[in-house]
Amino acid sequence: MIHFDHLTYTYPGAQQPALNDVSLDLPEGELILVIGPSGSGKSTLLRCINGLVPHFSGGALAGQVRVEGLDPVVATPKVLSRYVGFVFQDPEAQFVTDLVEDEIAFALENAAMAPQEMRVRVEETLDLLDLEPLRNRPLKTLSGGERQRVAIAAALALRPRILVLDEPTSQLDPKSAEDVLNALVRLNSDLGLTVLLAEHRMERVLPFVDRVIYLPDDGSPILSDEPRRVLNQIELGPPLVKLGKSLGWQPLPLTIKEGIRFSRTWLANEKAQGKAGGDPVARRIVHRKTHPAVQAQKLSLNYGGRKVLRNVDFAVWPGEIVALMGRNGAGKTTLLKCLIGLARPQAGSIMLDGEAILGKDVASIARDMGYLPQDPNTLLFAESVRDELFTTLHNHGAASKTGGEWRLAAGAAAVEPDTLLRRLRLEHKAAAYPRDLSVGERQRVALAAITVTQPRVLLLDEPTRGLDYVAKEGVDRPPQTVARRRHGRCTGYT
Amino acid sequence: MTGTDEVATEVRASPTTVRQALHPGTWVIWLVGVAIALTTTRNPWYLALVLLLVALVLKVCSPPAGEASRDPVISPWRFGLIVVATSTLFNVLMVHVGDTVLFNLPAWLPLIGGPLTLEAAVYGALNGLVLAGIFAAFAVFNRTVPVRAALRLAPRAYYPVAVVMSIAVTFVPATQQQFQQIREAQAVRGLRMNTMRSWLPLVVPLLEGSLERSFQLAEAMMARGFASAEENVNRRPQVLLLAGLGSWLAGWLLRLVWRQPLLGDLLLIAGTGALGLGLWLAGRQHPHTVYRPTPWHWQDGVVIAGAALVGAIYLFPLPGIDRSSLFYYPYPALTWPAASALIVAGTLGLGAPAVVR
Repeated sequence: MIHFDHLTYTYPGAQQPALNDVSLDLPEGELILVIGPSGSGKSTLLRCINGLVPHFSGGALAGQVRVEGLDPVVATPKVLSRYVGFVFQDPEAQFVTDLVEDEIAFALENAAMAPQEMRVRVEETLDLLDLEPLRNRPLKTLSGGERQRVAIAAALALRPRILVLDEPTSQLDPKSAEDVLNALVRLNSDLGLTVLLAEHRMERVLPFVDRVIYLPDDGSPILSDEPRRVLNQIELGPPLVKLGKSLGWQPLPLTIKEGIRFSRTWLANEKAQGKAGGDPVARRIVHRKTHPAVQAQKLSLNYGGRKVLRNVDFAVWPGEIVALMGRNGAGKTTLLKCLIGLARPQAGSIMLDGEAILGKDVASIARDMGYLPQDPNTLLFAESVRDELFTTLHNHGAASKTGGEWRLAAGAAAVEPDTLLRRLRLEHKAAAYPRDLSVGERQRVALAAITVTQPRVLLLDEPTRGLDYVAKEGVDRPPQTVARRRHGRCTGYT
Repeated sequence: MTGTDEVATEVRASPTTVRQALHPGTWVIWLVGVAIALTTTRNPWYLALVLLLVALVLKVCSPPAGEASRDPVISPWRFGLIVVATSTLFNVLMVHVGDTVLFNLPAWLPLIGGPLTLEAAVYGALNGLVLAGIFAAFAVFNRTVPVRAALRLAPRAYYPVAVVMSIAVTFVPATQQQFQQIREAQAVRGLRMNTMRSWLPLVVPLLEGSLERSFQLAEAMMARGFASAEENVNRRPQVLLLAGLGSWLAGWLLRLVWRQPLLGDLLLIAGTGALGLGLWLAGRQHPHTVYRPTPWHWQDGVVIAGAALVGAIYLFPLPGIDRSSLFYYPYPALTWPAASALIVAGTLGLGAPAVVR
């Protein structure tokens, strides 16, 4: 079905090839998961399948790709669009029209399909992804998960036999991500569609995956095999698999069910040896200080005639980590914006270390209270990662630039930027242009740019969106924290 | 798949989804009718009538608040008031003709010095009304016809251009939203907007973000079989289009400058034919079909007939209609404008969209 034959590809202007001598043989009808650290070439590999690489990107390509007997390099992406459907990371950035139905019909219109047949195809595609109730909705009114399902439907409208998805859930909250992944599993098992998926949230799909392709970033060989065999050889993996590996459970558990089975026998063994017992480790906060780090009282905010916040009271003590949870549109982001001063509540008070901050300007609040917005791209503009950190310090008057060299102001209460970069595993990227980095790396740069002033409180708006497991662990814990994750489990944030 | 046909008919019949709307082409014709009426007459009666009808159509045909595809930048009424006021003022100050002198400015003032007359004020106001009316008519078009539907009117040869235009339209609000996010993100980094340099952190992410989004969209469109540049493009349609335009221009010049109506008309006809053929041939190079083309209804016929009637009355001398009342001129002394009952009756045709809805 898909064959890679000694494929080597180098992006224009790059020193190192993005893909080096890749040979793979992927049979029909499998659900294939492509994993690897950020920047290991997952996106590039997927784009070779429908010819976007090298037709869109340029660059040098050696070796050969065969998809359904076609060579994507010779046949254009236009021809390949009939054989390969492609779904991208950001659901917003791939829509051409503004209505669900029109979006699905777009590829069919380009293929000059007869209107009668087009209507049949659109109906089928709507049913395939349960989009019938949404068919007349404008795309901007849909949730992230619904949008990504529309994107999948639009990719499937031409009835390709292969569906390729490049991190389709990285911009979604856990619930929507689950919907999307479930839809993919169903398409694969019910229709026999070959699905290639690059994905960070492995735990959801691993039980259904036929094959895992692991792309390393250190020059070691590419692995392509049955999931358990691959996961046994690599460091990357969901928490459950890691637990299984460290306790020597074989065959590796891929589902919670399998994990529970192992843990029962393991617990029984431990008990028998008298080792286990006691409570699970609990985190206790000692309220030593006289006042909380952040305290909000009777916070109310109306927006466009709608009560977003009504009499919100809470206190966060120094050292505490708080997860803010709630449904979409429940006012989580608004609450965080009130704290940092970006939104003005109509009533109530906010105290930071016992000092009222309501009405102060954002820049002065931000010195003591860091806020990381959802989209790290909105933050990054400087020439290099290092500049990015120093710019924040400069804004707060804690650094100055003399003769092209940044210098920390004497006595400034700030982390030395290079130390912070090392802690976030970004030291080798210090001179890189921030926007050339991968999503996970950008997120860490944004975090560094916010925390470099050593704020006493840190607000994070969905910080782990789009991060792989390794990167999630790389997010260092600042001293005092208010964390926020949607429908959150707090475990991912350490 | 069996049963698809039933599904399709069911959906088309459901009342909530299908709103009976006029064809975008009909709206274009209506717009042309309004423009003809407004530009050919300065008779206050007729102008007022046309404006009244446009206002009626705007009121009746606008989608309910919140559903409008685009919010108007400025309300047509406020714009109209401003235009009428400025036009009146300008004309009064600049044109010192007319018998009824209201006021005298010292003659040594450049341009505006001299008598200010009632006639000049009236003529200025009438010109302002014309502009306001055309603006209001465009406001109707803008509110009732979605951008995408309007772009479908573009000749098929320009389909790729139309697609790009329609994407550009959605890019504007997205960019505004992104600007807001960037402003907030930079504010929490302690950025204070006090120098010109502080705009850099706002502009750079905005430009880079838009560029990245454009590339992503371009990739997504390519992956779905949209190719703007076809290989082995046939050059013949382009040549035809060029020849048609040249012939058109030559015919027009012959008629107007060298007074050769017969030869000029022939060249105009030939040019129109070449343009049409060229567009048709070029369109065949971009094979694509339309999902759910907008249907024509009898309502469209009524509106088109109304607009055509108005166009005919205002442009051509029709038997039995006295057109002299169209040419109203307030100078040298203001007179009471006359009105022909037939023209008033015909002008009512512009109100058709409000009636058939």
